[in-house]
Amino acid sequence: MANRLLLAALAIGMLLGPAGALPARVDAAPAHKVAVGLIAEDSAIEPGAPFWVGIRQRIARGWHTYWLNPGDSGEPPTIDWNLPPGFTAEPIVWPRPERLRVGPAMSYGYTREVVLLTRITPPADVRAGTRVTLRAHVSWLVCEKTCIPEEGDVALTLPVTTGRPAPAPTAGAIATARRFVPAPSPWPARMQATADTVTVTVEAPGLRADRITEAWLLPGRWGVIDHAADQTLTVDERGLTLRIPRGPLPEATATDLDGVLVVRERLDRGDSVQAFAIRARAGPPATAGTSGLTLAAAVGLALLGGIILNLMPCVLPVLSIKAIALVTHAQTSTGAMRRHGLAYTAGVLVSFTALAGLLVVLRAAGAQIGWGFQLQSPLVVGALAYLLFTLGLSLSGVLTIGERWTGVGQGLAGRPGYAGSFFTGALAAVAATPCTAPFMGVAVGYALTQPALPALVVFEALGLGLALPFLLLSLVPAWRRLLPRPGGWMVRLKQALAFPLYASVAWLVWVVSRQAGAEAVALVLAGLLLIAFGAWLHAVTRATRSTSGRRAASAVALACVAGALALGPLMAPSPAPPASADPTGAQWEPFTPRRLAELRAQGTPVFVNFTAAWCITCLVNEKVALHSPAVAEAFARHGVVYLKADWTNKSPEIAALLESFGRSGVPLYVVYGRAAARPRVLPQILSERTIIEAVETL
Amino acid sequence: MTDKETPMIDSPSRRRFLTRTGAALLLAGVAPTRRPGAAWAAVQAKVGQPAPAFTAPSTAGTPVSLASYKGKIVVLEWTNHECPYVRKHYESGNMQALQREATGQGVIWLTLISSAKGEQGYVTAAQADELTVSRKAAPTAVLLDEPGTVGRMYGATNTPHMYVIDTAGTLVYAGAIDDRPTTRRADVQGASNYVRAALEALRAGQPVKTPITRAYGCTVKYS
Repeated sequence: MANRLLLAALAIGMLLGPAGALPARVDAAPAHKVAVGLIAEDSAIEPGAPFWVGIRQRIARGWHTYWLNPGDSGEPPTIDWNLPPGFTAEPIVWPRPERLRVGPAMSYGYTREVVLLTRITPPADVRAGTRVTLRAHVSWLVCEKTCIPEEGDVALTLPVTTGRPAPAPTAGAIATARRFVPAPSPWPARMQATADTVTVTVEAPGLRADRITEAWLLPGRWGVIDHAADQTLTVDERGLTLRIPRGPLPEATATDLDGVLVVRERLDRGDSVQAFAIRARAGPPATAGTSGLTLAAAVGLALLGGIILNLMPCVLPVLSIKAIALVTHAQTSTGAMRRHGLAYTAGVLVSFTALAGLLVVLRAAGAQIGWGFQLQSPLVVGALAYLLFTLGLSLSGVLTIGERWTGVGQGLAGRPGYAGSFFTGALAAVAATPCTAPFMGVAVGYALTQPALPALVVFEALGLGLALPFLLLSLVPAWRRLLPRPGGWMVRLKQALAFPLYASVAWLVWVVSRQAGAEAVALVLAGLLLIAFGAWLHAVTRATRSTSGRRAASAVALACVAGALALGPLMAPSPAPPASADPTGAQWEPFTPRRLAELRAQGTPVFVNFTAAWCITCLVNEKVALHSPAVAEAFARHGVVYLKADWTNKSPEIAALLESFGRSGVPLYVVYGRAAARPRVLPQILSERTIIEAVETL
Repeated sequence: MTDKETPMIDSPSRRRFLTRTGAALLLAGVAPTRRPGAAWAAVQAKVGQPAPAFTAPSTAGTPVSLASYKGKIVVLEWTNHECPYVRKHYESGNMQALQREATGQGVIWLTLISSAKGEQGYVTAAQADELTVSRKAAPTAVLLDEPGTVGRMYGATNTPHMYVIDTAGTLVYAGAIDDRPTTRRADVQGASNYVRAALEALRAGQPVKTPITRAYGCTVKYS
């Protein structure tokens, strides 16, 4: 690869020679208030590869030219391209304009210098070694107090070479212009109108309210707002709201508004002004979510998702416990069996209610969190590791205390142990949260846009789906005949099933390492050691005759568990530095809204992987599909940049972007094409084929 | 294009405008019927509502009141003879043709000049009359709105900026002259003229199909 690049660079050098290094530029007549030129980012054209050029306007001091929406007067510049056959030019990509007040009117435009970016795609069959001239006729209005229409012809000749061309001397000016192109907003926005006010709400919970000193909206079209009027800004933890006197066109507020939101933020070292391209949806705040689902459809999807959840890797270890219990109970009375099934279902539902209730309450309080949020805390992950480890020890036979809880062997002992079934259900629900099943993302995303009651209904449906297979087995006696008879094999199976639990513990410890680093891993491992010791001590002293000896041992065991739990709060979340790339798979970069915006502005196709270390479905997808060499090759061939949005720890920016797709949890896979078209959402269970097809049909 | 935005100058400038307007009213004797200082928005023209009444001196030296044309269709045209967009419509003969067509049917055509003294487009009464002759224009009257009171009342931001008032005194059109926001004279051909369409609709007793458009042109050179 490096060799090919070197060769290409040499080839370019030879082609350009000593004289051809500077692209030709035809400036407008000096009498003009604006000097225009055509500049390029690359020093050569690669056949079939889109490239960026810009119309540079150098504007006389005190004068200005106009933006896409010129405001109350003025006119945006136009570019009439005259390109060689097969070349195509895309619409202008506009840097953010300034607000220029002229008397009672407001103009949106540029002063001093602006570069209007345009992407050009050459045909694949343009011959290397030839030279190509791009021409355009540009007309613009330039105003101070008075206005002058001006026009000019520009041209630029570039050589055609194979391989990636080197940057042109004017690449810096293009890069500067790009910095001023509004970034796609990661936040959903809405527009509501009364008789005389337009209210634009931007759900930007990532913004620090106390640092936003100013924000204003530049509407993409005339008539929606009174351009010259004051915009009243309020910022709270949910985002920002602008109240603006309504513009003259009554029907203007009925359709979605594309525009630019400019935000001035006070940073430690001076102010930062950032511009975001927003689309404010017309109408009152959506209550039906962005997906347009009905409650019935969401409940149906949640139920289906819940059933499939049983098969997901995070639920299986817990279910293994229940599987043994089921075989055991199969021999007891039908009535007891039914009660076990109902207790298990109740456990699942209570657990889901508690989790969903907490989620709803925290969100109502303004927390930017989604499903699986509880696993974003290394404390909770550590606690879950302790719990699964203890259960594993119990299955291994180290510890017998678990019998009362897990329900294992209770049928043989003749004790009903409904509490055990209930607890298993509760545990299954907790363990299920890092997994997302197909259909589930849409349903949960819908639920979180709803008021508390419908949201809980959807979560209950999900829980019912999770519990359904066991519930049916316990309710329909005929199906139980299919189960094997209990016997000595059960002890071996019980011991064997401890291993999926230990595997889960290993995974959870890895999650902690990603969330809070090596120290936290040491703490969790020390905690596991204490638990193991406590469990062993408890077990071996149970047979001791001396009551005081047993009590002392129990006290030490309890102290061990308490010690393990006390280690938890010592962990401080400090995300481990992300690995730069999978050695075999596609190269990826960490996601930031700014990086995504840059790539979108360049028209580069982007694949965004919303993932988290605690999301097993995500990890499986990455392993089997996303990080395969075939996918990496497809990404490289189509110039797709792969961004990884890691939600292992809390991130309001990622949460907000997830929400803009109607989701509240990971995984989510999104492909952005070259043009401004809407991004495509891929299914939650990925295959190599799905990704490659999506990339190829960009 | 810099990181520093133009500073927000809204509130002071508006305050300055209000005080200036008040002063100008006293000096020029231009009298909007509603109190101007109370609230700017209260005297803003709005399509679908009664056109705000005004009185302004004509080039003939006599005050002209909108109220005196009650029962007639009135066209208001904001102009600045040096603005390239205005010149497009005068040098192509487009504006004059529309004036003749309208006044020939009994429509009152008032051309208003709101350029402040010393600004582009400012003319004395004599210069304005001379322009009417040399450009073969045919308005009912040319009104001098040097303080910019009427212009601001109607929210005139551009030249040309066009308004149509029906026989009941309701503002039925505000905006551009046509749908080609350019300075190219050739674009007059084939353009859809919003003012002509509004006048035709009024004559036919029908609602104006496009009552509000974005005016295009130069900014009005207010004081």
